[in-house]
Amino acid sequence: MHMIGRAALAVRRLFPALVLVLALSGGFVFAQAQQEQFTPQTEDPETFPEGDGRDDTFYTCSACHAFKLVASQGFSRERWDETIDLMVDRHGMAKPEAKDREIILNYLAKAFPPKASPRGFQNPFLKQ
Amino acid sequence: MTKRERSLEELYRDDPERADALLYNRKTGTSRRGFLGGTGVAAMGALVGGSIPFAQNMPVGLIPAAMAQTPAPAAPEKKGPTYLNFPGKDKGLVVIGDRPLVAETPEHLLDDDTTPTSKFFIRQNGNPPEAAGNPDSWKLTIDGEVNKPVEITLGQLKKNFKPQTLRMVLECGGNGRSFFSPPTSGNQWTNGGAGCAEWTGISLSNVLRMAGVKPSGIYTANYGADTHLSGDAKRLTLSRGVRMAKAMEPQSMLVWGMNGKPLENVHGGPLRLIIPGWPGSASHKWITKITIRDKEHDGPGMTGTSYRLPIRPMIPGTKADPKNFRILESMPVRSIITSPANGNKLAAGTRELKLRGAAWAGDLTVRQVDVSIDYGQTWIRTNLSQPKNRFDWQRWTANIKVPSDGYYEIWSRATDQNGKAQPHISANWNPSGYGSNPFHRIAVLIG
Repeated sequence: MHMIGRAALAVRRLFPALVLVLALSGGFVFAQAQQEQFTPQTEDPETFPEGDGRDDTFYTCSACHAFKLVASQGFSRERWDETIDLMVDRHGMAKPEAKDREIILNYLAKAFPPKASPRGFQNPFLKQ
Repeated sequence: MTKRERSLEELYRDDPERADALLYNRKTGTSRRGFLGGTGVAAMGALVGGSIPFAQNMPVGLIPAAMAQTPAPAAPEKKGPTYLNFPGKDKGLVVIGDRPLVAETPEHLLDDDTTPTSKFFIRQNGNPPEAAGNPDSWKLTIDGEVNKPVEITLGQLKKNFKPQTLRMVLECGGNGRSFFSPPTSGNQWTNGGAGCAEWTGISLSNVLRMAGVKPSGIYTANYGADTHLSGDAKRLTLSRGVRMAKAMEPQSMLVWGMNGKPLENVHGGPLRLIIPGWPGSASHKWITKITIRDKEHDGPGMTGTSYRLPIRPMIPGTKADPKNFRILESMPVRSIITSPANGNKLAAGTRELKLRGAAWAGDLTVRQVDVSIDYGQTWIRTNLSQPKNRFDWQRWTANIKVPSDGYYEIWSRATDQNGKAQPHISANWNPSGYGSNPFHRIAVLIG
């Protein structure tokens, strides 16, 4: 681990070179498309409820979509379990190993339990 | 330094190998299997907005600069809607999700007879392709159960067939999902995953006839140029289809124009399908290929509980049995109040409300729209217009007397040509939240 850590540290110094490679390769096409592209809001795991497995869950889900989509919903553990199946069966997510699934499920069930929909009809005159 | 940088930095500093495994399944050795199943570099490419050349040389534990130097800081979770900031789009659209981009049109912005492109909802499933440099060279392939596979460019479609323009509703299959109780999975639409635009193109049947669908060809399988959110080119983001009878309807179209302008990239330009009346996902954007199949299509979005409804009603909130589901075809009847806006304050002494709205019913027409200002105790019939053409929405108006100042809720309820009306609450609960079409409900304050 220590060796890998040091190696990583060493390659950090190559950052400017990598930036250049990225800029040269992708820059041209990207600039052309940029006008019609949308820049999503950067997300940070720390803005979501604390708990064991938060980072693992955050990076697993946000590999594809904004984590806000997860955080905007609230389910029982059983329904979160079913949602992971939906991600695997419908959306092509790699099936997580049992122990990873457990970590994710524990976090989701605790951080995002069933709640009333934050959308739907809300009395407009009771808003803060 | 933004918070995002610090947290990524920390993750990598503490254990770069694990960080890589977690984020991208980039593996250094044989010991650790990450969560993401071997799509690492593609996923990373998607995040930094382009492919990463020489990826195999990129050392493990290295954060791509485009991510590490992301300029936009993370915003704290805030209450209330996030409004869309997108070139050419109305700032009143509400962002439901920003990766992939999903934005709905609040009902009061659907007050135009024809929904302007600036107000039209956005629903991306994957990463949209780059805007086409030369739209007329865009290629469409028809293959599968046909006598003669067709490969045709957009330029040829425009030249060889007679174009038509129809005003038709396009509606997301999950429209109304947020009204379900208990809540269901997916983007939490209110009623704003819908709009009614002028679509220009040709009947899909022209091209299907050109290819000659064999008697064995009973279903379409639609493929587009958008890519899976993971960045993995081998995974499909969505591939749905429809029964041949629906595909052959004259209003099922290959579309290159929207509201008199070339179809924009964000709405599937240069070429998309419009399969009116059915869930929007059947109207594939950036369409590149339609494969005719000899059985019901089974691509992503066709199976399980996706775009499907329970056959036998299930207990809300319980585990679904996929065998008990059928494909959602025609969308259900829906009405919206487009004026006044929810939350409007009216001058004291106002005794008449001028209401405007719209109603539509998937494959069917709307027979009547009724409104109530007393929580459904009494209903008042509205003046309902006829559709311009099949699949157009129907606009309605009503002038309603109110007895006093105070808080009023206005409810609207449409009834389709078969006598089926919108229910008070979302019916036929299903875990992915389809078919939710309760009354539209707004509140106004007089005085």
